[in-house]
Amino acid sequence: MSDTGSKPGPEPSERTAIGITFGNSNSSIAYVVDDKAEVIANEDGDRQIPTILSYVDGDEYYGQQAKNFLVRNPKNTVAYFRDFLGKEFKSIDPTHNHASAHPEEAGETVSFTVQDKAGEEEGPSTLNVSEVATRYLRRLVGSASDYLGKKVTSAVVTVPTDFTDKQKAALVAAAAAADLEILQLISEPVAAVLAYDGRPEGKIEDKVIVVADLGGTRSDVAVVASRGGMYTVLATVHDYEFAGVALDKVLIDHFAKEFLKKNSSAKDPRENARSLAKLRLESESTKRALSLGNNASFSVESLSDGIDFASTINRLRYETIARTVFEGINRLVESAVKKAGLDVLDIDEVILSGGTSHTPRIATNLGYLFPQTTKILAPSTEVTALNPSEAEARGAALQASLIQDYEAEDINQSTHAAVTTVPHVGNAIGVISVNEAGEEVFVPIIPPETAVPARRTVHVSAPSGGDVLVKVVEGNTHIKVTQPEPKVKAPESKAAKVEDADEDGDDDSDFSDDDDEEEDEEEKREKVWKIGATLAEAGVKGVKKNGKVEVSITVGSDLSVIVTAREVGGKGGVRGTLAAASA
Amino acid sequence: MEATVIPLPLPVLPEGWEAENNFKAIGKITQESAATQRTLEPVGPYFLAHARRARHKRTFSEDDR
Ligand SMILES: Nc1ncnc2c1ncn2[C@@H]1O[C@H](COP(=O)(O)OP(=O)(O)OP(=O)(O)O)[C@@H](O)[C@H]1O
Ligand SMILES: [Mg+2]
Repeated sequence: MSDTGSKPGPEPSERTAIGITFGNSNSSIAYVVDDKAEVIANEDGDRQIPTILSYVDGDEYYGQQAKNFLVRNPKNTVAYFRDFLGKEFKSIDPTHNHASAHPEEAGETVSFTVQDKAGEEEGPSTLNVSEVATRYLRRLVGSASDYLGKKVTSAVVTVPTDFTDKQKAALVAAAAAADLEILQLISEPVAAVLAYDGRPEGKIEDKVIVVADLGGTRSDVAVVASRGGMYTVLATVHDYEFAGVALDKVLIDHFAKEFLKKNSSAKDPRENARSLAKLRLESESTKRALSLGNNASFSVESLSDGIDFASTINRLRYETIARTVFEGINRLVESAVKKAGLDVLDIDEVILSGGTSHTPRIATNLGYLFPQTTKILAPSTEVTALNPSEAEARGAALQASLIQDYEAEDINQSTHAAVTTVPHVGNAIGVISVNEAGEEVFVPIIPPETAVPARRTVHVSAPSGGDVLVKVVEGNTHIKVTQPEPKVKAPESKAAKVEDADEDGDDDSDFSDDDDEEEDEEEKREKVWKIGATLAEAGVKGVKKNGKVEVSITVGSDLSVIVTAREVGGKGGVRGTLAAASA
Repeated sequence: MEATVIPLPLPVLPEGWEAENNFKAIGKITQESAATQRTLEPVGPYFLAHARRARHKRTFSEDDR
């Protein structure tokens, strides 16, 4: 990590380290007790703490209290600022700051002007975004320290995968000014993966995971190869259109129109800043309620022209009016898989993370996008799923507890590119087995996109015993598409089509298009392994009947390969090496 | 990671198959066709073990001891 100022951090033995997620909308603090990560509630009882500061009569409010002031005190309330850290004014998107303190140009950085002291004679202060971040982090750390009963000195903080070095440096500096040592910045999706793997019941497997982090102002999707508990990000996509506030907007418009229908002479509540702020707050809580129940109420006192408004909405209606947003999220996830050069069939798990991931429809839609074998880890689809609002904070806390005893210098060296940037095998490496039909099939042992050095061991059965062949080969997958057997003979089916079209009457789309569509629906797509180049052969002789052969493959950092094969429980065995890739 | 169990059997050693020490080296993994440089996320206990081995130039088996 870049330097954290002249002041050296605390000694490892004197650290109290936590995990922090610092979002544009919400932040969380988490801590590990007895090897379990827990998200800490602040003094208001919140685990998702709005990333907002508000000043009233010289008092500073943060979190939900500050958020509530968006209605009565928007000018002195600073919200949606995380993404501005380390950026120049001309490269920020101020869309979400219309209803709170506005970002201003301040040389190399961005600032906000708020009345943060008591008494008008004091005059307002111009705070640059670093100062805002420092003040906010100080409050977060204060809440964590109060909860833990000791001063929090250090943290692992999550950042988006597209955070630049400049943004990271700005965050580290802002934390240092709040007297907080950043042990490490880790990427948000990887924190979510670690939260799952780091559960006491978590199992380390080779798998490909999509993390869909659906927040308030942005949706970020990452495709992660998880190999023996190590993670490599294969692709990421970012979107600022299809996220939580877009869903709030759908409800704002819905209820505003309802209100106008009932009160035809009243002014549109969306045209008055205060009414809009009320609409926005209530729409968000209605939206959250719709994640849990099939119906939710909406109620605002004095919404517009002094008129109170109350209404209800059911989930089906909400899902209908919010469809474009949900579809946008699906497309985003699909594009990430494509960008990684993969197929939906390659994805083993989808981790839904971020507040918007509570929405049941989003999980259901992703279920349709992926094959049935893909696990969709969301509250509505998997009972064991982590709370999507908590996964990243837990991951950060786990990482903090893993590294808190290391010297800062050690952490720097281990996270250096010399250690992290390594070859990853492109093809799988495995052995040949024989299937029920007597055909040779590829059995992967080291899957593609595994970082080296890597070692994997498998036990392969040898039921008839005797002398067996361990043939080590490369392999890769392709997607096999099987068209459905035509149900009826071609000419008849054409006749049937014509009849269909007749029934539809005015349907003038051409028939061949229809044809394609129907076949698409029924074609079978499967992932199959193809046997590639042979790397080595080993003979294991005299295996007992119903024996097993242990095959271990180690690929070195120079891509040299060590193969060992021996009967499980037997002595000796075969060991051979393949030379490194030519230097 | 624990050893995975593969139920499909290994092929029988072909008649007349012979090799010194019962091992034949045939191919190798090439940088060009079968490997790319990527960046591991420096996160989690298994990465820490990887970093420790890399920094002390230790192999898996040396690490096991
Ligand atoms: N139960 C819920 N159902 C639906 N949406 C929810 C729920 N809980 C929170 N949200 C929404 O999640 C969004 C906030 O997501 P999150 O807490 O992950 O924030 P964040 O990471 O700070 O977001 P960003 O940085 O994208 O602005 C808000 O739009 C909020 O309304
Ligand atoms: Mg987020």
